[in-house]
Amino acid sequence: MINEEALGWVIRTRDPEFQDWEAFTLWLEANPAHAPAYDALMAADSDLDNIVPEEPVIMPVAANDRGPRRPLRWIAGGAVAAALVGVISVGLLNRSNIYSVTTRPGETRTIALDDGTRVELNGGTTMRFDRKDARFAALDAGEAAFTVRHDAANPFRVTVGDAVFEDAGTVFNIVHTKDATHIGVSEGKVVYNPDAEAIALPAGRALSDDAQGLRLMDVAPGAVASWRQGRLVYANASIADISQDIGRSLGVTLTAAPGARAMRFTGTIRLDRDPARFFAQAAPLMGLTAVRQGDGWLLKEGPAKEGDGPQN
Amino acid sequence: MATGLSAIFMTNRAALLRFLRARGAGEDAEDLLQDMWMKLEAKDLGPVTDPLPYLYRMANNLMLDRYRSSSRRERREQDWAEGAGGVMADPSEDIGVDERMILNQRLNEARAVLRDLGPRVELVFRRFRIEGVGQRLIAEELGVSLTTVEKDLQKAYRAMLLLKQKIDTE
Repeated sequence: MINEEALGWVIRTRDPEFQDWEAFTLWLEANPAHAPAYDALMAADSDLDNIVPEEPVIMPVAANDRGPRRPLRWIAGGAVAAALVGVISVGLLNRSNIYSVTTRPGETRTIALDDGTRVELNGGTTMRFDRKDARFAALDAGEAAFTVRHDAANPFRVTVGDAVFEDAGTVFNIVHTKDATHIGVSEGKVVYNPDAEAIALPAGRALSDDAQGLRLMDVAPGAVASWRQGRLVYANASIADISQDIGRSLGVTLTAAPGARAMRFTGTIRLDRDPARFFAQAAPLMGLTAVRQGDGWLLKEGPAKEGDGPQN
Repeated sequence: MATGLSAIFMTNRAALLRFLRARGAGEDAEDLLQDMWMKLEAKDLGPVTDPLPYLYRMANNLMLDRYRSSSRRERREQDWAEGAGGVMADPSEDIGVDERMILNQRLNEARAVLRDLGPRVELVFRRFRIEGVGQRLIAEELGVSLTTVEKDLQKAYRAMLLLKQKIDTE
């Protein structure tokens, strides 16, 4: 038998926001049997650690009341937890069958949607899909390459923050970090915010949206989503952006020193699973030095000094 | 202790003592309060957002530790009396293959129990129990009332505790 009142107090006092300890005191004082009942249930609760599976599971979410679409802040938190234990976290959105997929830094994953569209997730990425609507995808954070089966009557749309990208028969890549969104198109055409700006991006065009506003630029179609081939290809990209790409692709914590962040790089960097080997080759290419810093790496301006660079 | 915690502790000393007594500390309540004071003195805690709930929680945790260590001791003494042998190995160490299979089986049972509760209840329980998110926040995230979250949690807890009881008696 479970003491329902005691269970209520177990749940209440376990809440990180619980405040009403005076009421709890009164309940305890009401009957000397209350404290042992509470203790027994709290002990049982802590034993649950041994039997509750920690991994999040894919879960269809029941249709909900109609109402304003809520910003799904919790997905970010869920993604962190998912990243610790596995790949797939739970998603929810009103009136649909949303699920989310998270990759750990350094891990890639390919999602095949029912309509023949393929989405390749780079490391450190969180996306949402709809089980009932294969034409919907949302990139919440990270980087993904899309190979879309085109259907003019029912276009494929990717939601990225407040922006929407609509395909017009396309292979394209999107990077979404907390300060910037960048899309490169390698085949076909993508329309940015079709219901507002409606900027058409044909193959070989790229669009950036960051603190400086919207910018359009050229990109080599072969360079788009080159991370899938183990390469990162840049034309005049900032080290700040490049270091985020590297961190995501290799699964390393990488910071760029202020002086290095503003520098720009044009060229191809070959990815390598071994961070020491990778930085030994890539940092001089960018005119930088990489030094190990705790669990991560730091990119600094200038060539390596004696005994400063990564040792092989 | 440079923070306001010491002042809050002194102001609410009587209330904390009353709480410890109600919690079952009996004659030890004063000593436990003294332990708390020592702990507060020893640790230079940064500013605490809600100092009084923080102190209550600390007192509650002391009592939970006490309960756990006393029930462990009882279990040990009982094992001893039943002739379980002289070696008191920590059961958490060195898990054998058989035991691992049993553990996996239990995890599967727990998975099934959670799944049967329905997706929202499972989600609420995971957010609360595994990720440590408060009920108010969970309600906001899901766009449901606080009462719904409370009911979901009670439902999930009841099912999980019954499963635990079943496992314990196996």
